[in-house]
Amino acid sequence: MENNKNSISVLVIGAGIAGIESSLLLANSGAKVYLVEKASYFGGNIIKCEEVFPNMECATCMIAPKQQELLQSESIELLTLSEVEDVQGSVGDFTVKVKKRARYVNLENCIGCNECFGPCPVEVDNEFEEKLSKRKAIYIPCPGALPNAPVIDTDNCLRFKGENCQLCQENCVFDAIDYTQQDESLELNVQAIVVATGFKTYDLTQAPQYGYGKLNNVYSMVEVERICASNGPTEGQIVLRNGKAPESVAIIHCVGREEKGYCSSVCCMASIKQAHFLKNKIPGLKITQLYSDLCVPGRVYQRFYEEVKKSGVDFIRATVSEVKGQGTGVAIKYKTENGEENTLNVDMLILAPAIEPGVDSARLADILGIPQDEHGFFNEKEPDLDSVDTSREGVFIAGCAQSPKDVPDTVAEAEATVGKILSLSR
Amino acid sequence: MGGEFTPRIVGFLCNWCSYAGADLAGSTKQKVPSSLSVIKVMCSGRVEPVLIATAYLRGADGVLLAGCHPGDCHYREGNYYARRRFALLEKTMETLGLEPARLMLAWVSASEGQRFGEVTNLFTERIKEMGPSPLKKALL
Amino acid sequence: MAKKIGVYVCECGNNIADNVDIDRIIKTISPMRNIEVIEKYRLLCSEDGKEFLKQSIKDNELTHLVVAACSPKQHEQTFMNVCLAAGLNPYLFQMANIREQCAWVTPDKEEATDKAIRQITAAIARVAYQEALGKRDIDVSPDVLVIGGGIAGIRAAQVLASPDRKVYLVEKSSSLGGKVKSFDKLFTKMESGSALIDKELRKVEKDENVEVFTDSEVEQILGFFGNFEIKVVKEATGEEREFNVGAVVLATGFDLMDLKALPQYGYDKLQDVYTSIEFEEMNVPGGPTSGKILLKNGKPPGSVAIIHCVGREEKGYCSKVCCMYSLKFARMLQDRLPEAKVSQIYSDLCIPGKAYQKFYDETKGLGVEFIHGEKINITQNGKGITVKYESNSGQGIDLAVDMVILVPAMEPGNDTNRFAEMLGIPVDNEGFLAQEHQLLAPVASSVEGVFVVGCTQGPKNISESIVQSEAAAGKILSTLVPGRKLELEVKTSEISETFCTGCKTCISVCPYSAINFDNSRKIAVVNEALCHGCGVCAAACPSGAARVKNFAFTQIYQEVEALLK
Repeated sequence: MENNKNSISVLVIGAGIAGIESSLLLANSGAKVYLVEKASYFGGNIIKCEEVFPNMECATCMIAPKQQELLQSESIELLTLSEVEDVQGSVGDFTVKVKKRARYVNLENCIGCNECFGPCPVEVDNEFEEKLSKRKAIYIPCPGALPNAPVIDTDNCLRFKGENCQLCQENCVFDAIDYTQQDESLELNVQAIVVATGFKTYDLTQAPQYGYGKLNNVYSMVEVERICASNGPTEGQIVLRNGKAPESVAIIHCVGREEKGYCSSVCCMASIKQAHFLKNKIPGLKITQLYSDLCVPGRVYQRFYEEVKKSGVDFIRATVSEVKGQGTGVAIKYKTENGEENTLNVDMLILAPAIEPGVDSARLADILGIPQDEHGFFNEKEPDLDSVDTSREGVFIAGCAQSPKDVPDTVAEAEATVGKILSLSR
Repeated sequence: MGGEFTPRIVGFLCNWCSYAGADLAGSTKQKVPSSLSVIKVMCSGRVEPVLIATAYLRGADGVLLAGCHPGDCHYREGNYYARRRFALLEKTMETLGLEPARLMLAWVSASEGQRFGEVTNLFTERIKEMGPSPLKKALL
Repeated sequence: MAKKIGVYVCECGNNIADNVDIDRIIKTISPMRNIEVIEKYRLLCSEDGKEFLKQSIKDNELTHLVVAACSPKQHEQTFMNVCLAAGLNPYLFQMANIREQCAWVTPDKEEATDKAIRQITAAIARVAYQEALGKRDIDVSPDVLVIGGGIAGIRAAQVLASPDRKVYLVEKSSSLGGKVKSFDKLFTKMESGSALIDKELRKVEKDENVEVFTDSEVEQILGFFGNFEIKVVKEATGEEREFNVGAVVLATGFDLMDLKALPQYGYDKLQDVYTSIEFEEMNVPGGPTSGKILLKNGKPPGSVAIIHCVGREEKGYCSKVCCMYSLKFARMLQDRLPEAKVSQIYSDLCIPGKAYQKFYDETKGLGVEFIHGEKINITQNGKGITVKYESNSGQGIDLAVDMVILVPAMEPGNDTNRFAEMLGIPVDNEGFLAQEHQLLAPVASSVEGVFVVGCTQGPKNISESIVQSEAAAGKILSTLVPGRKLELEVKTSEISETFCTGCKTCISVCPYSAINFDNSRKIAVVNEALCHGCGVCAAACPSGAARVKNFAFTQIYQEVEALLK
C-alpha cells in the first residue's frame, strides 16, 4: 500500500474493542497488523452484551461494521486461537513467537453453514454462554460469532481422545474439516506492540456470603447479559432456572470491591443498564439496587441513573449482611447507613462482580517484560500521566488490561496507542 | 378472503441493521415467508414515500420498511426521517382510503434474527387476512 | 452499446443447491433480455470459483455481472475484486441474496425457487441501470491546528508535530500551561503541576515544527476535513495570520461553575469560603499568600470543611475528578497544617479505577473525616462558619469550621459556544460539544476532521486528557498521511444543477452537513469529501434533483417492478 520504507508492522494482543480499534487505525495508516487473539472468535467482552450504556445501543450492531472492516482488511492478519509465547528485541525491532493452535477447520473452505454441529455426539457446557446452555465438541460460541467458522475442542472431542469418530467431517460438503491440522509456531518481526487483553470478572464463589453457586436464583451480571441477549441461551427471554419469569429482582453492586481494594468503575452503570433493560422487558418487574457509593462520573451517566430511578427502580445505599434461600427466591438482609436493618425478598438476585485483569496477564507481563501492579493490571509508565506507555519502550497498553474503564475510555486509549506508535515511527 | 391467496410483499431493508438481521434470521434458520421480497438500501432514510407508494401501486399487497432502532442509525438520524415520512404516508393513505394497514414500519437490529422472522410472519398473516390489494383489480 | 449481462448462480455446496431448484432458475432466466450467459458453480467464493468467474467475464465480454449466492455482506467485496481483475467496473455488478434470505429461510423448495427467481430478476433489472463508478481522492494538508495551550493541547502538539507535519498551537492567554500550571500538587503522586508543565513545554518549545501563538484567538475556520482555512488574530495588535490545515483539535479546557448562582454555599458573601481553584492558587509558592494556607485574618485555619459535589444536582452530572482532588486537598492540608481538623462532605464518593481507592483509604488513615451529607447550607456569624448538612438518617447536623473549600461542578470552557457555532457542532444538554459516537468515537466531533479533547469534551483528569489528545493524534496521523491523498466515499449523492430549485431542503436534512448552497448559481452542491451516501437528501428532494450514485430512484424502481411482475 505505502512505499515500504514508511511501512511498519505492529503486534496487537487481544481482539476486543481496544484491539480492534488499534488495528483498524493502524491499518488505515498503512501499517501491517498482526492481531493475536486467544479465543476462537473475536470481539472480546463487549459482544456478550445485548445493549450497552448509556444509550442502550445494540452492542453487536455497534461493532459489526468494525468487525467486518477488520475481516476484509488486507493489512490486518487476524490470528485467532493464538497466544504470544516470547518477545525479544526492542522498539523498532521486536521478534515475537506466537503459538497458533489448530482449529481443525479450514477457514478458506468453511462457509459457516453450521451443518457439522448436529451429528456431533458430545455435549458440554458452553463457556461463552456462562454455562447456561450446552455446545458440541465442534462449535461456534454463539450465533453471529466471527470469524464464522467452528473450532474443535480437543479436550472433549471423541476423536482427539482416541476414538474413531468422524461424524462432523462426514457431514461437511466443503471439505472444511481437517483433523490433520497442526498447531503452528509463528515468528513475527514487529516495530511495536499493543497489549489490549481486557478483563475477566471476579470469581463470585470467592464471596460465598452472597449465595452464588449455592442458591438457585443468584446470578452473576455476566450470566444475566447472556440471558438478555437475543442470540443467547434463552434468546432474550428473561427466565429463571425454573423456567418462570421473575417478578422481583435485586442487584447488589460492588461484589468483590472490598476484597480487591479498588472500585471497578463501570459496574454501577452496568447494573443500572441491566435494571433499565429488565424493566423494559417486564414492565411490572420490581427492581431494587443495593450499593455503597454510586459511581456515575462524567457528563451523561448521572442522567441515565436518574431516568432509571424515575422509572421506578429503587436505589438503596446499604451494606448486605446476609443472603439466604427463601422459597424459590432469596432473602437479603441489609443495613442502611443510619444503622437500620431490613430484609428484602426477591425472586432473582444479580451480583455485580469486580473487574480483574484477563486470565493470562501474569504470564504476559513476564513475556513482555512489563510490570504489573498488586492487582495484576499492567503498569503504565507514569501513573496519572502517561497511561498507554509502559516502562518498556515500544510496548503499549490500552483498555481494561491497564485499569477498569468504560468503552469510550478504552477506545480513546486504543487510539492513543496508535498516536504514540505512528509518532514514534516517523 | 385469504385461503389460497399468497401475498406479494416488498420489503425495504437498511444495509446496516435490518438487512443484517434478515441475514441472521437465515444463519439461524428461522422461517421467513417467501411472499417477502427484499430490496436493500443503505439507510431507511433513503426510502421516500413515493417509493413505497410506487411499490403499492405496482401491485404489492403489503410494503415493509425496516431500519435500525431509533438512536442506532448508522448515519445518525436517517431513521428518524424514515419514521416521520412513514407517519405522513400512513396518514395520506388513510385520507385517500387506501388501507394504511398494508404498510409496516419495523425496527430490526443486526442481532435480531428471530425478531425479523416474527415481524415478517406477523405482517404476512395480516396481509393474508386483508386479502389482495384492491389496487391489483384496478390495474388488471 | 448492447448490454451483455452474465448471471452466475452459486450452489454453495448443497446449502443453496439442496433448497432451490437451480436448474429451473437457469431455465427461467436464460431467455430473458440481455442475458449473455447464465451458469451455476459449486462454490464461487473459492479460489477456483473466483478464477472461473474472472475468466468467464472476460471470455463472454460481459458488460454487467449478477451473482446469485450468499448475502452481499459476505462476498460483495470478493466479487467486486473479481470484476476489477477481469477488467469490469466493479459497480456494474449486483448480488442476489438467495442463501441467507431465501434457501435458508424457505422450507418449501418450489416457493424458495420462485423467490430466488424474483430476487435474481430484480438484480438483473437493476444492474442494467447501474453506472460505472470510480474511486476518487483529494489532496489534503497534513498540518494541524490545536486550539488551547493547556496540558491537552501541548501534548497533542508534541505527538503530532514532525518535519512533514506542522502544528499551529493557539493560546488565548499570554502563556501556555492552562490550569495545571497553577496546581501546586497533583494526585496521586503529589508532585508539582508547574514542574510538569515546564517538562512538557520543553519538548514543544524547541520543536521548530510547532508554531505557538499566544494572546491570540482563532477567528475563522472554513472548509472541511483535509482542507480547513484558518484565520488567527493576535488580540493586542490585530495582526492576522492565515494558513491551511487538515485537521483541528479543540482543547479549550474547562471552567468552574459560577457559585454565585448557589447562594446556600455562601460563596462571595461569607469570609473564608473558597472555590477549589482559589485554594489551589493559595498554595502556589508565588501566590497571594506565598504558598501558605491562611484565613483572611492572616491566621492558619484550625478546621477546614471540603464540600464535594457543589452544583452536581443543579447541573445534573458528576464532574468525575473532584473527589480525587478533594482528597489531594485533604493531604495538602494535613501536610502543611498537621494540627488542622479536616472534614469532607460528599454525596457519592467517586474513586474509580485500580489506584484511587487506595489513595482514599490512605487519606482516611491520616485522620480526615468523611461525611456522607446532603442539602448543604453555609452560614457565618462572629464565632465562625457553620456548615449545616442532612445526614443519612435525615437529621440536620451543624459543623463548625474556620474555612470552607467548595468543590464546584466543571463546565466546558467559555469559548465552547463560540467554537460550536463556528464549526457547526451541536452542543449537548450539559453544554459540551457532541461527539461523533459516544462510545466508538469519543474524541471525534460530529464534524469530520475536528477533534474535541480534554475537559472541553467532558470533565476528566490529566491522564485522561492526555489520552484523548494522543487519541486525536492517532486518528489524524493515520488518516492525514503526508503525500497521501484522502480517498472519498464512492456512492455519494449528487445534485443535478438542472433540477435543483434551491429550496435547501436537502441541506436541512443532511446528517453530515455535507451539502452547501452555491449563492451564485442558487443551487445546492454536495461536498463529496463529507458525504456518506445515506440518501436522506435524495428522499427529501421535492424535485428529484438529489440522486445517490448506485442507489438512484430509477435503479431501485427497477427492483420494485421486477419483484412484482
